[in-house]
Amino acid sequence: MYKKILILLLIVFSGLNVNAQTDRKVSFIGNARSLLNTNMLTVTDSFPDTVSIKKNNGGYALMDMGVLIKPNKNTEIMGMFRIRNEYGGFWGSGVSFDVRQLWMKGVVADAVRYQLGDINLKQTPFTLYNHHADQIDSLPAIFDLQRNIVNYDRFYMKNNTWRMQGANVDFGFSFSKLIKELNFSGLITRLNPTNFSTISDRLMAGGSVQLVQSKYLQIGYNVNSVFDVLGTIADSNVFKNSIQTVDWKIKKEINGNLFSLNGEVGSSKYFYSKDTLAPNLSDYFVHSYLQYFIPKWNLKVTAGYLNVGPDFRSIGAQSKDVNYNALPTYFNRYRNAQDVRPITLFDVIGNENIYNRTVTPTMMNSSQLFNNVMPFGLSTNNRVGGYGKIQYQNKNGIAANAEYYKLEEIRGQGSFALKSFEVYKVYVSVPVNKLINYSKVISIQLGMNMQTTKRSSSEAIENIDLKTLQLNAGLRFELFKNFDLIGGYISQNTKGNEFVSDRNTYNEITYFNIVNYNLTQEIFAGGFRYNFGTKTYLCLLYQQNKYTDKLGNNASFKMSQYGVIYNISL
Amino acid sequence: MKNRILIIAIVFSAFISCRKDKNVIDGPSISETYSTFKIIQAFQADKSAVDFSSGEKVTFSATFNKPVNWEVIVTGNTSKAKKVFTGDGKIINITNALWNGSTTKYPIFRVEDCIAKLVIKDVVDTFIVNVKITQPKKNEGLIIADFEAGLSSTWTKFIQSGASMDFKVKTDSFAPQGLKYLNMAGTVNWDYLIGLIDFPATAYGGNKTLPLEANPENVYFNCMVYGVPNTNQSSVLFQFKEDENSDGTINANTDDEYDYEIKVDWEGWKLISLKYSDIASLVNGAPATAKGNGLHNPDKIGKISMLHLANPNDGFASTKIDFIMFTSAKPLEP
Repeated sequence: MYKKILILLLIVFSGLNVNAQTDRKVSFIGNARSLLNTNMLTVTDSFPDTVSIKKNNGGYALMDMGVLIKPNKNTEIMGMFRIRNEYGGFWGSGVSFDVRQLWMKGVVADAVRYQLGDINLKQTPFTLYNHHADQIDSLPAIFDLQRNIVNYDRFYMKNNTWRMQGANVDFGFSFSKLIKELNFSGLITRLNPTNFSTISDRLMAGGSVQLVQSKYLQIGYNVNSVFDVLGTIADSNVFKNSIQTVDWKIKKEINGNLFSLNGEVGSSKYFYSKDTLAPNLSDYFVHSYLQYFIPKWNLKVTAGYLNVGPDFRSIGAQSKDVNYNALPTYFNRYRNAQDVRPITLFDVIGNENIYNRTVTPTMMNSSQLFNNVMPFGLSTNNRVGGYGKIQYQNKNGIAANAEYYKLEEIRGQGSFALKSFEVYKVYVSVPVNKLINYSKVISIQLGMNMQTTKRSSSEAIENIDLKTLQLNAGLRFELFKNFDLIGGYISQNTKGNEFVSDRNTYNEITYFNIVNYNLTQEIFAGGFRYNFGTKTYLCLLYQQNKYTDKLGNNASFKMSQYGVIYNISL
Repeated sequence: MKNRILIIAIVFSAFISCRKDKNVIDGPSISETYSTFKIIQAFQADKSAVDFSSGEKVTFSATFNKPVNWEVIVTGNTSKAKKVFTGDGKIINITNALWNGSTTKYPIFRVEDCIAKLVIKDVVDTFIVNVKITQPKKNEGLIIADFEAGLSSTWTKFIQSGASMDFKVKTDSFAPQGLKYLNMAGTVNWDYLIGLIDFPATAYGGNKTLPLEANPENVYFNCMVYGVPNTNQSSVLFQFKEDENSDGTINANTDDEYDYEIKVDWEGWKLISLKYSDIASLVNGAPATAKGNGLHNPDKIGKISMLHLANPNDGFASTKIDFIMFTSAKPLEP
């Protein structure tokens, strides 16, 4: 009898062991971070600023602890908590305990995949897409440390998704003849809840059908709709913004080189059902680009055409990651008058407070300083023109990229004369150690981004000439094994004039304010980083941010920061 | 193949060239907005004398070279009543400045000379025209009380014997309509009630119920209330007591009563207008179920009680009231 029990126990435990090694039912994932910094502010004003606090010490330690449960092979449940403790919190007053994410996903009948709860969603660049339009393409590595914190905290997954709450489902069919696959996907999320009196429940629903004929041809139909749910408040006037698009990818191999023709066309509608004062907008867009990849030269050449109508509206694609109405984290007010400190390059690079986690339920403001040409990326309305790109990347890791955009307005803004826009982008990344056969990492990054906006009118008051030049450089030098010296510099100069529009509740322009810029922003950063592993590092940083407004629209200031970042990913 | 590509390219080009945006702009014209202000057509009124009682109206007009924020203020020389029109744009005309004799700031206009002044934001000059009111606007409806004949003997009055009591009809420059109004003031430190007046339906044509139409969506109750600054906050409570079987007796347990409390938290005269169907039944200020058929029956109102209330612990309370009346289909626009 004892032998039988012993054998039974052995079988059971051996089975558990195998299960644990191959397919664990419960696993823990997470991230921990500690950030400690000292900040200093110097204000240049006509009167000495005796009101603002000039020094700030702060930071926090946080831990994200997630539990991933797999009750069966087709289901996963994920719950993650965040414990955050502000440095200086007394008797637990600075401690917060939040649910960071909660979702479940699985496969029904080995065919239909679903996910409920917190989900990362993306459709096409004109339906639902996080363009990150104001971000620097070639951000020096030292600034990536802060940028990665924003990306992690706001769930930016480097694939242009938005973090939303709702459900999505996708499934597909495979065929043996004529077409290869037919894939379907659908999503529904809530953008804002009702307050039961004046604000309706606002939902977003979307779907796509992708027909893959072969590896050479793919055609899709996409739909996205943001709408108020009738009946959630007494008012029967409901808002709706719907977009329908068709996209395609055509590929062809020519002499070992890959040629592709991609694009998307579609239309949008934007209206309130009963409000006679509200605009009823409808418009269309066309985006198409040719791409030619030459493997033996490590070269990719792209030429594109873009035509997005002035009345094209897409809340899912025209939401911005940066909220320029938000207050910055450090020194958010300054001068004796306690003005709101303007959002600077320093904030845009690494201040998670000004970033949206998800799509906003209404159209967003943009910034002329950070992107006046395409503030909503490709889906920026009222633009027509073309662009070209050349991308090079070899086996040694040398990468170079050059882009040029030439766009124009379709409809004038307060003038029949149209604005014309140009963008020049160049960036290079060179692993110097590979060129000189040095064992430790030495890498250099250089980048340039120039935007111009011009308008020539018979009325001199309507003329516009605005130029923004952004230069950046980055260095990583491995002093000892896993111990890096890192540094970076970014300067941005904005000079010229533009008009800033006042808008009413329907987002219609009611007035144009003249603005003149002669503004220089500079950030210098340097520090040391020790890499404990690929996902764990300790970093000591110093950075200085200088904001010089030569026209005095805002008082000039300088911010310095010493910081320690300790990041652990499990 | 080449032909197909050509056809696609032509269709594609035609599709794109369909845009017709060259003749429109978004927002106001910048060149106009920032140009020097000029009057293209002078500010004027289409009548120098107007009889509002016969339905005549006055149209003010002007045209500018650029969009502006404008305001036309008509002031009665005698009454000091004001009518204000505001707008944004280049044109003042019948669509945005048509005057039917109504008032924005009380008292209401009477037979008098008026001055209409055009004020434009960021423009120093003002522009003036004169208009004479030969007859003021008639306000149609069932007047419950305008106090022009004093306190009627057909009304039932109860006035507390507190300190500084002044519950009387007054004739002075405060009158928003006509020459008289009811002043309700005093200190009653033992009760919320300072005084009340019951307006029985029999005082208005001899019937047991008020001569109003049956549809509560079409009947509006209106009154003008004056808030006196720096006094104990007054409340004016109106109780609409229906006599559903028209037997001449209002039974609190079987007939509906609807109530509306006006908390007088402003200074000066204010017009209160509300649809009869929106008036709730209250018990101690809280919504309650009406005791009768639960339907708003304005044609069954047997009595209206008006109570002046104030917190007895807070001292002297004062308010004034005038022009209590019902209108049909729309609120009173005096």
